Amino acid sequence: MSSRESGNQQLLKIQRIDDLLQRNLWDVDHRPHIVVDTSRCTDCEYKPCVLLCPAGCYTLVDSKLLFSYEGCLECGTCRTVCPREAITWNYPVSGRGVLYRFS
Amino acid sequence: MATKFDAIVVGAGPAGATAAYKLAEAGIKTLLVERGRGRGSKQVFGGRIYVTPVREVFPDVEKTAPIHRWVKREKISILHNSRILSLEYESPEKHSFTTYLTEFTSWIVDKAINAGAVYVDEVRVDSIVEEDGRITGIEAGGERIEASIVIDAEGVNRLLLEKLGLAERLSPEEVALGAKEVIKVGADKINERFGLEEDSGLAWLLVGEPTDYLPGGAFIYTNRDSVSIGVVVYLATAVKKAREEIYRLVEKLRLHPQLRQYWEDGDIIEYSAHLTIESGRRFMPRKLATSGLIVVGDAAGLLLNTGYTFRGVDYAVYSGYLAAEAAKKAFNLGDFSEETLRENYEKKLLGSFIAKDLRNHTGVEQIMHEVEFFEKYPVVAIDTARKLFELGYETPRIQEALRSSLKTHHINLLSFLYKMFKMVRKL
Ligand SMILES: Cc1cc2nc3c(=O)[nH]c(=O)nc-3n(C[C@H](O)[C@H](O)[C@H](O)COP(=O)(O)OP(=O)(O)OC[C@H]3O[C@@H](n4cnc5c(N)ncnc54)[C@H](O)[C@@H]3O)c2cc1C
Ligand code: SF4
Repeated sequence: MSSRESGNQQLLKIQRIDDLLQRNLWDVDHRPHIVVDTSRCTDCEYKPCVLLCPAGCYTLVDSKLLFSYEGCLECGTCRTVCPREAITWNYPVSGRGVLYRFS
Repeated sequence: MATKFDAIVVGAGPAGATAAYKLAEAGIKTLLVERGRGRGSKQVFGGRIYVTPVREVFPDVEKTAPIHRWVKREKISILHNSRILSLEYESPEKHSFTTYLTEFTSWIVDKAINAGAVYVDEVRVDSIVEEDGRITGIEAGGERIEASIVIDAEGVNRLLLEKLGLAERLSPEEVALGAKEVIKVGADKINERFGLEEDSGLAWLLVGEPTDYLPGGAFIYTNRDSVSIGVVVYLATAVKKAREEIYRLVEKLRLHPQLRQYWEDGDIIEYSAHLTIESGRRFMPRKLATSGLIVVGDAAGLLLNTGYTFRGVDYAVYSGYLAAEAAKKAFNLGDFSEETLRENYEKKLLGSFIAKDLRNHTGVEQIMHEVEFFEKYPVVAIDTARKLFELGYETPRIQEALRSSLKTHHINLLSFLYKMFKMVRKL
């Protein structure tokens, strides 16, 4: 297989968000920097975090909101769009989290 | 143990690093604190920096900065229904360059360190300390550090200013989300595919399909051996109208049948996201300095988004420079009062090209809010072009093509012309 073909396959594959996040350099903390009080999410109509979190940290499983902080890109979107103030948001400490090199 | 510096700068982005450099250069004992590891590791932008204001602060920018390519071609395109309508502009002049902000910021942080600033990374500042109505230092991890003056360069997420009551809690109306992929393609392939010379680059803005017709835009910048592609959506509309995940939009851009030829054999080397300010004028805090504190860069609302370009990094650098100049004056006078700092910083900034730019473009920001502008007009434009260029038997006049496209999309010709007129005046 030529390198062009292998490259093609790589880019053409519909990426799962995790595949994409794996391209980055990480040093994820074992302590979460964002805490979500999901009890406030049950009657939230829009749940804008689900579509707008660029890292797919908010997912719906059986219409229940699940949050995982591990792939967080530290953008601040969820903090801004959450209509229920369910999110206690901060940056990671000690240089943890994502380490950008080419952005 | 109380540690004391003359000046503390919070956040080593382009704004903070520049301020620290200029302060240290003047012999002021300066601490630059950054939450990220190393230099520039939390930095994200679209792709290009305008050089003129940067050159005033760093005369060696052309010789020593990590410049990837000089933007000699500008392109603006509307994408819809497998059609692309574009405006292209070429110039031999070096007015702006592409780079990675991570690299550019490192370049400034190095300068600050060489000038004698103390750089501490991996430290998240938890609060800016206020005592008796005066800023006296910072607190991080339970430790306090004092200074005569603090410069807040924390960027768009103003956790510290919010705590101080100097900024409101961020609302979706004020910001846009950008998500970006960097794809390594190789320098030769970039030159060949985009038709570029060795060190010349392309800045390409796109609307319509790439944002799923949401207010915002997509971008493509050519770096030395990679391309940066991404999507920016205004949160206010995206909250209600987004139909798929933002990373899906970036992926669609990457896989777009008419675009992917440029990078399809490349490798994605990074995926990043960051908020950006949507209206600098509205985002600006009520005051840009208080007793012992100066606010610079994004935290001060210094960002211009005209729809066809972004300016934030050059503004950040320039505001960092103005802040350092004001601080130097304050040290000479031994006076760090709100009055003196506002007189020497805020007034200068509000009289500078930055504030003038922001005032000048408020009209455009209003347009950028009109959903119609992104939802319907790209479609009408492409439809009209299709009627003009894709001829069968009949050859319509421009007016006829436009009229019938407007009709198809239920837009009144008069209101369309009025809006266009209004827009041209505001641009
Ligand atoms: C998608 C997108 C595209 C853009 N495109 C362009 C473009 O093409 N051209 C352009 O000129 N501008 C562009 N911009 C705008 C530009 O990136 C910003 O205006 C610029 O980076 C602002 O610089 P700053 O130093 O004020 O803030 P930032 O660059 O955000 O830096 C702030 C720094 O402070 C640190 N920090 C924050 N809080 C703390 C804390 N509590 N303790 C310690 N450290 C802290 C952060 O880690 C960060 O390093 C774009 C922005 C985005 C999001
Ligand atoms: S900060 Fe951004 S990336 Fe992190 S969870 Fe919130 S929306 Fe997702």
